[in-house]
Amino acid sequence: MRASSPYRANLLGLAFMTPAMVLLLGFFFLPVVLTSVFAFTNMSTATGISGGSYVVTGNLLRSLTDEGLDAKTIDALGQSSYVIDQAGLEKARAAGVDAKFIAEIAERLKDRSFTSSSAFERELKTLPSRPTRIRDLKIAAGAFEQSVLNVRYASRGEMEAALSHMLENPPEGAIEKIATASYTGWTWTTDNFKNLAIAPDTWRIIGNTVFYVVLTLAFNVFVGLFLAITTFYLPPAGSGFFSVLWLLPRITPVVLYAVMWKWFTWEDGFVFNIAQDLGLPAFNYMKGSVASAWTVVILVNGFVGASFGMILFSGALKAILVQQLWASEVDGASRWQQIRYIILPQMRWPILFVTSYQTLSLLSSYEQIWLTTNGGPGSTTTIWALEAFKTALNNYTGNLQYGLGAAMALVLVAVGLVLSIVYLRLFRFDEMMSKPKIEF
Amino acid sequence: MTRNFAAWPIILLLTVLSLPLFIMYLFLLVDTFSNTPPGSLLPNEFTLEHWRFLIDPTITGDIWKPTLTTILFSASMMVIVVSVSATAGYALSRLALPFRRFVLSGIMVMHAFPSVTLIIGVFLVLQFAGLYNSLIGVILVKASLMLPFGIWIMKGFYDAVPWEIEMAGVQDGASRFIVWRRIILPQVKPGLLSLALFAFIDGWSEYMLPRILAPSSDFEVLSMYLNTVSDPNSSTYNFNIFKSVGLFYTLPVLALFVLFQNRLMNIFGGGTKG
Repeated sequence: MRASSPYRANLLGLAFMTPAMVLLLGFFFLPVVLTSVFAFTNMSTATGISGGSYVVTGNLLRSLTDEGLDAKTIDALGQSSYVIDQAGLEKARAAGVDAKFIAEIAERLKDRSFTSSSAFERELKTLPSRPTRIRDLKIAAGAFEQSVLNVRYASRGEMEAALSHMLENPPEGAIEKIATASYTGWTWTTDNFKNLAIAPDTWRIIGNTVFYVVLTLAFNVFVGLFLAITTFYLPPAGSGFFSVLWLLPRITPVVLYAVMWKWFTWEDGFVFNIAQDLGLPAFNYMKGSVASAWTVVILVNGFVGASFGMILFSGALKAILVQQLWASEVDGASRWQQIRYIILPQMRWPILFVTSYQTLSLLSSYEQIWLTTNGGPGSTTTIWALEAFKTALNNYTGNLQYGLGAAMALVLVAVGLVLSIVYLRLFRFDEMMSKPKIEF
Repeated sequence: MTRNFAAWPIILLLTVLSLPLFIMYLFLLVDTFSNTPPGSLLPNEFTLEHWRFLIDPTITGDIWKPTLTTILFSASMMVIVVSVSATAGYALSRLALPFRRFVLSGIMVMHAFPSVTLIIGVFLVLQFAGLYNSLIGVILVKASLMLPFGIWIMKGFYDAVPWEIEMAGVQDGASRFIVWRRIILPQVKPGLLSLALFAFIDGWSEYMLPRILAPSSDFEVLSMYLNTVSDPNSSTYNFNIFKSVGLFYTLPVLALFVLFQNRLMNIFGGGTKG
């Protein structure tokens, strides 16, 4: 073997791992970090995602009044003033004001300031080359207007400079306070978690989530077991038919699967028509009542999950020594006794695996609910993951609260991380990590 | 085995349990070729009119553009997943890497981790990277979210290749890269094929990522198209038409599944996501 081999192998390893590492860092690791970071901000559509700017608006003045800022300062903030400076002269020139008039203003009024438009205009009227039309005079006056109201400043420094220019003898700390309040971007806060802790909705959604996970999981495991065992005993043709039928929900793209359920349970749908013919209450079962909406949600998810259980359990069943079953039949055991005393005890690990795996994926899955009941009627079938998603990325009011949504998602991310690590320990995936035998 | 237990109650129970599925899939097929009078359950005439959307874009909008976009989307994502998993899986299976154990456990945690909870974080990443609302961004995200699974599967296939083959290649003086390219890669072809199929089907079925990460872009995949067509509030809403569109959309998936059932079942059983 050549001496350069170790170096080459490492270089090869680096080259082979880099694309995977870049993608995993970018779309797994970074999202986890961003979720945790932005859970502590008030980021939303209103604040924008990159930084904001500093603006004093009419609304802000009102809320500052409510917060007890003194009336004199508020008044001064709302006012405009007129200052004859170089910037104003430039602006007047750009606005097309007569050059001679501008020269006169510069000469006679340079560096003077006026607190109202009427005083300034009165002064302008005394100049010899003033425009004859009052509209032109107003345009000229407008060029020298200075106000912080509704002006966008890119940095805090500029805003503070403008404020101290406007306010004479502001109260202690007022400028800092106004500048902070005028920021339109997102800021750091722990309010998301505080609000979640006190909101009454939180507990209802947690209750919904537990209800949903427990019932769907029970459906998955029991139906999965039932399917695996019955198809195991059925003749091949029958078992093949049922296996394929139950696999379909898993293969079918989720959108089609959801619209098929809509057809089944919607107004004028299949069940609706049958119920009408039989004289039973016929309504939109997916959204019409809480009980029927929950039934649909659990069945929609349960049918998908049951096939997952069925595949795993069928695999485990095939591993059972068939001699054990033959022996039990010789001893006169019934099918039920075979299932109870031979099959079920050997299914302990597959059942535990399906249970833990499905708990995690049910906790975080909302695609089917989103596409069917969308959490309705009201928010009765809304689960935590769906609420987080809707808060951050998909609601009708248009103000998407990324910060709050990230805080809700962070809870799921934490639960998901803990559970997946626990499961990996539980199912001893460690053993799969044998060391490579060629150490170069 | 002797019949010491009556089979029919079980079959009956199984049938009743399977009835909703059976009805849904039966009518998915039947309704696309027939008309049913209002209020009735059974169709009374055969027709091909529900398939006219294939040639007449005025019914539900042009279907061929979304079809091409979906093929492009699934194929690019498949190429990324397969090539990146093929190299990373080999490195993790056969090369002495620093932090190998750490990386491997990290990938396993990511594999078990419900990636759907990351969607808000992914949204922010795309915003910052300027890839929001672009097809490339969605492809990268979809491929990345599938990588832990792909790397894991490929590592399993590499692990099953006998060490002796690789040793022999190295003894003959070939570099590790040449050994991988010429000797090992052909050995794991079944794995590559299964992963490619699985990735393609997964990409084909994807709805959420394009919808959320590229809501106002000018491309549309078939899943988004189908959801628009099947919106009960839309003007073109018609049970039969959305079933035809849905069947059209799902046929490639079903065909791939029927053709490669055994390969896919291996992967489904091996380590699927719930």
